[in-house]
Amino acid sequence: MVVANLKAIQRVPEAADLLDIVLSQTQRKTPTVVHKGYPIQRIRAFYMRKVRYAQSTFHERLSRILSDFPVVDDVHPFYGDLINVLYDRDHYKLALGQVHRARSLMDAVARDYVRLLKYADSLYRAKSLKRAALGRMGTMAKRLAPCLAYLEQVRQHMARLPSIDPNTRTLLVAGAPNVGKSSFLNSVTRADVDVQPYAFTTQSLFVGHMDYHYLRWQVIDTPGVLDRELEQRNTIEMQAITALAHLRAAVLFFVDPSEQCGYPMAQQLRLFHSLRPLFGDKPLLLVCNKVDLGWEHTLDAETWRAVEAAAADTGAELMKMSATGDADRESVYAVRNRACERLLEVRVSQRMTQRRSDAVLNRLHVAMPPQTRPPVIPESVWAARQAQREAGAAAAAVPPPRLTEKQREEQMGGAGVYSMDWRKLYDLRESEWRYDIMPEVVDGKNLADYVDADILERLDALERDEEARLAALEAREGMETEEGEEEQRRARAIVRAATERRILRQRRAARERSQNPSVPPARLRSRSVSSRGPARRHPPGVGVPRSLQTASRPPTAAVALRQVHGVRDMKQAAKARRLFEQSRRKAFASREHRQGEWDRFIAVKKPKHLYAGKMSLGTRHHR
Amino acid sequence: MALRAQFENSNEVGCFARLTNAYCLVAVGGSEAFYSLFEAELADHIPVIHASIAGCRIVGRLCVGNKNGLLVPNTTTDQELQHIRNSLPDAVAVQRLEERLSALGNCVACNDYAALVHPDLDRETEEIVADVLQVETFRQTLAGEALVGSYCYFTNQGGLIHPMSRIEDLDELSGLLQVPLVAGTVNRGSEVIGAGVVANDWIGYCGFNTTSTELSVMESIFKLRSWDGAQRDGDQDDLRTSLIDTLA
Repeated sequence: MVVANLKAIQRVPEAADLLDIVLSQTQRKTPTVVHKGYPIQRIRAFYMRKVRYAQSTFHERLSRILSDFPVVDDVHPFYGDLINVLYDRDHYKLALGQVHRARSLMDAVARDYVRLLKYADSLYRAKSLKRAALGRMGTMAKRLAPCLAYLEQVRQHMARLPSIDPNTRTLLVAGAPNVGKSSFLNSVTRADVDVQPYAFTTQSLFVGHMDYHYLRWQVIDTPGVLDRELEQRNTIEMQAITALAHLRAAVLFFVDPSEQCGYPMAQQLRLFHSLRPLFGDKPLLLVCNKVDLGWEHTLDAETWRAVEAAAADTGAELMKMSATGDADRESVYAVRNRACERLLEVRVSQRMTQRRSDAVLNRLHVAMPPQTRPPVIPESVWAARQAQREAGAAAAAVPPPRLTEKQREEQMGGAGVYSMDWRKLYDLRESEWRYDIMPEVVDGKNLADYVDADILERLDALERDEEARLAALEAREGMETEEGEEEQRRARAIVRAATERRILRQRRAARERSQNPSVPPARLRSRSVSSRGPARRHPPGVGVPRSLQTASRPPTAAVALRQVHGVRDMKQAAKARRLFEQSRRKAFASREHRQGEWDRFIAVKKPKHLYAGKMSLGTRHHR
Repeated sequence: MALRAQFENSNEVGCFARLTNAYCLVAVGGSEAFYSLFEAELADHIPVIHASIAGCRIVGRLCVGNKNGLLVPNTTTDQELQHIRNSLPDAVAVQRLEERLSALGNCVACNDYAALVHPDLDRETEEIVADVLQVETFRQTLAGEALVGSYCYFTNQGGLIHPMSRIEDLDELSGLLQVPLVAGTVNRGSEVIGAGVVANDWIGYCGFNTTSTELSVMESIFKLRSWDGAQRDGDQDDLRTSLIDTLA
């Protein structure tokens, strides 16, 4: 839908002004000096340029008028009908049509005369042709005078129309003249519409804006409508009808049961019924205004029943209100809120059915699980919260007791100078361990690779196991005293061998199980931790910090892992390995293991140009 | 309480910090400003420590953890690992993972009970995640994005998820994780939630660009508002109609 910006239309010049503008612009913007002595080509070009320039200026001016004014069929039907009611659609279209026709005629005239100018054989002839061309265009512009005058008037009127957004949330106030529509607008918005005690005070649409439920609403006050045939309605009434017909708004139909407005209740209800087709399925409120005049007590029951029946017929909500008087503000707001709520309901239900509402709904949706699990908040946090709550406002004034690292940094010389001591926060069993120096590499080996957190426990377990077995064996021996010493020794040897095999198996299993194998290469792996003896494991003056003691990382095959790292599976790893070997073999075979592309290679040992020739001054640029 | 923070002019606080209920890892910056934001609020309750992983400052993207454990990628050096182990309490198990997808923070999102993992993560890795962090794991994508850690953030109290997640997905995930979930953005409309937010069960941090609306959504869903005692829960229902009418 094209949204016409009625306020932005530029002024339409009068016909005479338009002519002046174009001619003076042509004079100013094109060359002015020509001599008959010039070559004829040049003279022709001089006048052609003038004609073309005048034509393009006219074209530009008229095009702007055509593009500025809204096309009745393109704008929102509300504005289309409003233009029809206010300016007479036929007249409006005719005026724009004439402008359009004048524009194309001018284009044709200029084209013809430019063509003629090509045959001009003297300066005088060329000049006459130019005069004729500009003259014809000027005549056409003068003929546009009534159209341009009309369009200028339309423009001025349009600029004063209220800017009604046909698509936004709107409350539309309608009813017979003088029933308090404008008073309502004044009380819910800051529009400050003229309110007078006579009919047809409001002669056009008025807009006020208000806020309700975090949203912006426009309230439209319409002129009063009389109960008569549509054809007989005047322009003022027709504006109200247009608004009722085209705006998707909540309609507040006002009636005045006190009949102070000059129209009997029966007539007002007839009007209500006659406008019924325009209400459609819009939210409708039948508002009985001027309660403060006390009509509730004087109104006869018959009439009230008719009002109720009318409301029930149309599905309208019946509300009582008093627009004037500050005492009864609540009734006004009750009406307003009810209307807004009903419109919002309708709009939201419409939106929910639209496809694109999903994009918004998913962001408004909080998915709640059937059950939740408790948060894990330390006791100290609860205590701090409690303390802060008790301290209340006073707590804000007290500076935080903690000296943060940022403050310390500022005291110690700022960023880049101060370097924080990370070790002071270490959470170790003994706090003096924090500053222990921990070697990273000992005897060319990465210490971290050899750390096994529970090596001592496992050793203990094994030793206990062995002792138990030996004890069991000895106990059995005690019973079988007849057995020879030889046999005893053999049994012990068997047990010991079995134990050793188990230790080895466990160690290998641990190695294979490990998630984090970073061990020295294979040739170093043969030397186990235990074989290096206790003195090497703990170099003098170096304590092994807790972190490494608890680290559960038995040494494993890092080399092997490095080869499979980055490939999908063992099959792919094997393939990669095979390809590598192949390529290496090929490289060596071709050069008989003597030289490869990785070797340093000097093609020419002594390049001739560096060593031959004279060395006297000025013969060479180098050496 | 949710705070706005910035790490050296970057709003992606989730890249430079890893916050859990038992500890907080903060990247090493040029100054201590970013660290002190965490230190001031948290140091009385949990260890707040500097850390780097593989020499990088993006600790939040490279590691993942909860109150039970911390998983670091295989690129972590021995010295970094030792520093982390020394600084964290014994109850927190620290484990180095041999995993091809080494930005664990992008591939895993977890709270203390459940974790979402990247669908391409190794099965063994998933098992280690479940063992070390003591969580149930679920292989999931969020709104078509496989990097679950980047596009969502959840604590034990609630979670924020990629803004394009559909309502059915939200409900399903919420049932799996057993936390309330909402689709949203941080840092003025950024959908990379994991990078824009860090939070635990009582405090949250988000980028400086975060709008007040985003901040209030974050505070409500992570339940960080209980400082002033009164929870304001009714607001959302009130605003709902207005929001639908304006936005849809």
